[in-house]
Amino acid sequence: MKKQLFVLIALLVAAAMLLGACGPKPTEPPAATELPAATELPAATEPPPPTEKVQIRWFVGLGTGTDPEQIVVQEEVVADFNASQDRIELVLEVVPYDAAQDTLSTQIAAGAGPDIVGPVGWGGTNFFYGQWLDLSDLIAETGYDTTQFEKSLVDMQITVEGQVGLPFAVFPAAMFYVPALFDEAGLNYPPDKYGEKYVMPDGTQKPWDWNTVAEIGRLLTVDANGKNATEAGFDRNFIVQVGYIPQWQAAMHMVGFWGAGAADFFDAQNNAIIPDEAVQAWEFYFDGIWGAQPFIANGALSDSPEFGGGNVFNSGKAAMGNTHLWYTCCLGDFKDAGYEFQLAVLPANPFDGKVHGRVDADTFRMWKGTPHPKEAFEVMVYLVGPAVAKLATIYGALPARASDQAAFLASKSAEYPFVTSWDPIIAGLAYADVPSSEGWMPNLNEAWNRIENLGDLMLNDGTIDLTAEIEKLRQDLDVIFKK
Amino acid sequence: MEHLANFRFRKGVSLQKMTPGARREMRQGLLFISPWIIGFLAFTVIPMIATLIFSFLNIKITDGVTNPVAWVGLDNYRTLFKDNQVWDLPELRATWTQEIEGEKVFNPQVKMSPPGSLWVTIIFGLYALPVGIIVPLVLALLMNNKNLIGRNIFRSLFYMPYIIPFVAAVFLWGGMLNPETGWINRALMLLGVPKASVPQWANDVFWVYPTYVIMGIWGIGNAMLIMLAGLQNVPTELYDAAKVDGASYWQSFWKVTFPMISPVIFYNLILSIVGLFQYFLVPLVVNQGTGRPAGATNFYNLYLYKTFFLYQNMSYGSTLACVLFLVILFVTVILFATAKKWVYYAGESR
Repeated sequence: MKKQLFVLIALLVAAAMLLGACGPKPTEPPAATELPAATELPAATEPPPPTEKVQIRWFVGLGTGTDPEQIVVQEEVVADFNASQDRIELVLEVVPYDAAQDTLSTQIAAGAGPDIVGPVGWGGTNFFYGQWLDLSDLIAETGYDTTQFEKSLVDMQITVEGQVGLPFAVFPAAMFYVPALFDEAGLNYPPDKYGEKYVMPDGTQKPWDWNTVAEIGRLLTVDANGKNATEAGFDRNFIVQVGYIPQWQAAMHMVGFWGAGAADFFDAQNNAIIPDEAVQAWEFYFDGIWGAQPFIANGALSDSPEFGGGNVFNSGKAAMGNTHLWYTCCLGDFKDAGYEFQLAVLPANPFDGKVHGRVDADTFRMWKGTPHPKEAFEVMVYLVGPAVAKLATIYGALPARASDQAAFLASKSAEYPFVTSWDPIIAGLAYADVPSSEGWMPNLNEAWNRIENLGDLMLNDGTIDLTAEIEKLRQDLDVIFKK
Repeated sequence: MEHLANFRFRKGVSLQKMTPGARREMRQGLLFISPWIIGFLAFTVIPMIATLIFSFLNIKITDGVTNPVAWVGLDNYRTLFKDNQVWDLPELRATWTQEIEGEKVFNPQVKMSPPGSLWVTIIFGLYALPVGIIVPLVLALLMNNKNLIGRNIFRSLFYMPYIIPFVAAVFLWGGMLNPETGWINRALMLLGVPKASVPQWANDVFWVYPTYVIMGIWGIGNAMLIMLAGLQNVPTELYDAAKVDGASYWQSFWKVTFPMISPVIFYNLILSIVGLFQYFLVPLVVNQGTGRPAGATNFYNLYLYKTFFLYQNMSYGSTLACVLFLVILFVTVILFATAKKWVYYAGESR
């Protein structure tokens, strides 16, 4: 009898533990399932009770903003906002970067997503494609003035989901170059204003496009014997200086600089397309590495310690590097070695004669399921408006609005006193990639990975049939997009 | 309950015929074993069944709440069978000359197109399995040689790299095999190999597999010890008998040593094949799982992992897992079938 009782108790304990483990946590908010589904339109018409503040949750973690010193400033921004009015209570939720994606996925799946998410770049945005609120109606309803921003920056935030963001922090691209290497080669510097031409040593003027970059890049590529890539006897196996490097630009980014975006890679049925601009960009790149007169470092060279282990421009052994404003983070060795760089404008696509720039951007998004879209929009306007001075500083980003940029540029000038003008960077804001090359495409991560494989192949193997490889990529993307 | 009553634990013993004491003992036995049964069901059987079911659904975490889960039948399997990233066959290209300083010089190079992930695993296995079996066997034979002075020192020396942290070893080998600055290529160039012909090691689709095998050689100490234990268990009288019969060293090896240690070789082979299909950590650490160069290190297991946890496509990942299960099952069955022909278990009829 005692044994049977023991068995019964043991079974009950085991069952209780199992049920306890499987059941909801006691701290879980009971009303989570009562929130509207993500696909439902928010209950915008339900006004909050006049005596109660509407709580707006600001989720930080998908991008920058999780460092302790950033959190302190973000808390200040929240306190400033909460002190400024009595209808809305802004609540900051900071989740460590590594856990942010899973946390937000879980919250959204439970119908309890935050009202505002950010700062977030394209990567974080794309992961939650379909979850962002189109702000167009709110912009129209509140009369929010978007003309205070460069138009291309506003357009850049338009995706298939609509106007999902407002410009906030931006990182335009420019052509970084080393004047000393141009002087050594007897070449003129690249133009620092859009529309200007490049003046060759013989005085002839050429359009500042990728063909010209290749032409002067070859003259700036030097082997161990001091011969440039156009000279007889140039030894491509012992290159000591390259003319050009797409610094930390992925294969898709290169496409952006030639005028195509992620949205150009598929049609309405998710059939894969390789846009002409992509082919042009990749042919330029492949020829630059493996052509008869190379001017771009191949994989082995760019990975070598002498060439900065991938950070080639930082090694001082690349005359030109196409990259973004954020790259100013990573020029320590360059500066320490006594090198100096200047900034030039981006070259045009020689096929259409137009400049297609790229702007990396961080901004805020509103979750589609927010129960308080009007209040959340008010907070968003505050974050991209009055709070930008504090926030952009701690995020190390250039504010999108021209009137907020002076302080940031002053700090950059102090960091790099030899840079005579940051204008090419600012002018680059007008050439944002619309649609973005980092934008959404079906099965994005896998598609990017596959495109990167082609980029890697181009970088490391000069014997490939590029046309056949591009076709193979199209076939693979076709499968990936339809998975 | 009726099924339970008719259940037979041993031939001729049913629950109904059990004495009350035996039944009680059985219940207590089941109670004690229940944690394992629950664990086995919860963490092995149910996930396996779930994986199979998932492969017929369209679960993608990235779709969030916008795309409800639906039954898609065999769609995932159809997609898999036309997925070049799994099946693409490699293509070898050889170039014999290169233009250097305006002249065409003899400069042979072999290049390979990046294969699909299943072929990545198989090609790597073609390098790794023989090396993983033969090198430890040869080393064990050397370590077992009576004429070797300082055998214990050598045994320790060959085993020591096995205890070096894996990540540290990867970085060390990465430095040695750097195509531009590594001493291996520098030594090759000193020996007269033109710079354009030296292997690009981890940067090259063709050379990346030998590179990974070379990196793995430091891990053979364990297999060597197992082989050595096997060799030391071979009765010396068998060698004496072979010597009396006039057998050469080579004949002794094939007729005595190899059959006697064949169970150990078989064990190592099984471990190596299991390790091959689970090969994952090296490409994940060396290339952060990107599949560099050009997807050539996109091992099947890595592709499966990425599909689950990077691409968040649970259903397609489950499909890949189910197919991997079938492939491993097939290979294992073949291996055990052939084992009857070459693995010798002394004193045991099989």
